[in-house]
Amino acid sequence: MEDETFDPDLIHAIFKHIWTKRSLERDRNEGNDALDSEVGAGTSKKNRPTSANAHALKLSCELLRVFIAEAVGRAATLAEAEGVSKIEATHLERILPQLLLDF
Amino acid sequence: MEGDGNEIDAERYEEGESVTDILRDRFRLSTISIAETQARKLGMQMSEPIIACISELAFKYTAHLAKDLQLFAQHANRKCVNTEDVILAAHRNEHVASTLRSFYDDLKAKEPQSERKRKKASKNKDKATTSAVHFPDL
Repeated sequence: MEDETFDPDLIHAIFKHIWTKRSLERDRNEGNDALDSEVGAGTSKKNRPTSANAHALKLSCELLRVFIAEAVGRAATLAEAEGVSKIEATHLERILPQLLLDF
Repeated sequence: MEGDGNEIDAERYEEGESVTDILRDRFRLSTISIAETQARKLGMQMSEPIIACISELAFKYTAHLAKDLQLFAQHANRKCVNTEDVILAAHRNEHVASTLRSFYDDLKAKEPQSERKRKKASKNKDKATTSAVHFPDL
């Protein structure tokens, strides 16, 4: 049986949402900074909507799955070392810094 | 007039927020199932707030990832995010990067082969038909 993972379409939707939000923000900033019109012209070409291919989305899903699996796994190791069978907030707190450095 | 404009802006803003909420909720559901599968594998239980924390964390990480991928693609003068971009996003941890690379190799191994097989099959079919055509001549 295959592992649970994300739906690539969902990840694509989230990515697209963030990308459009970012481009909207950029537009607004460019509107405000008339002085930076030269820079704005440079970036406007790059303003074309970003997209992602199917393999890239599947890889992103895998990356996120690994991220979550690592978070749970490390917290579980810590909880096990303490002899508890339930993962609590303190465990997550303690693995968090290294987890964020590793991803 | 100005008031109307502001209201429309506010509506748009709220709409954007609600889209984010829907996406976040769907994301959270996936996260919960992944985390619980993993916990079950390890024979551990997880308290509810921890799962919520992890899903929030993963959602923020996704936002960072989206930004990184967009910047990487733009840097390469592409508007389409590539698998290379994703692997590059994980470059800080060699282990993760190599995991992703082998995952990608698996994906590649699965798909183009089926295409090749299809092509081969069609070639075989062609041969079969040509041979069938040639048969009456013999």
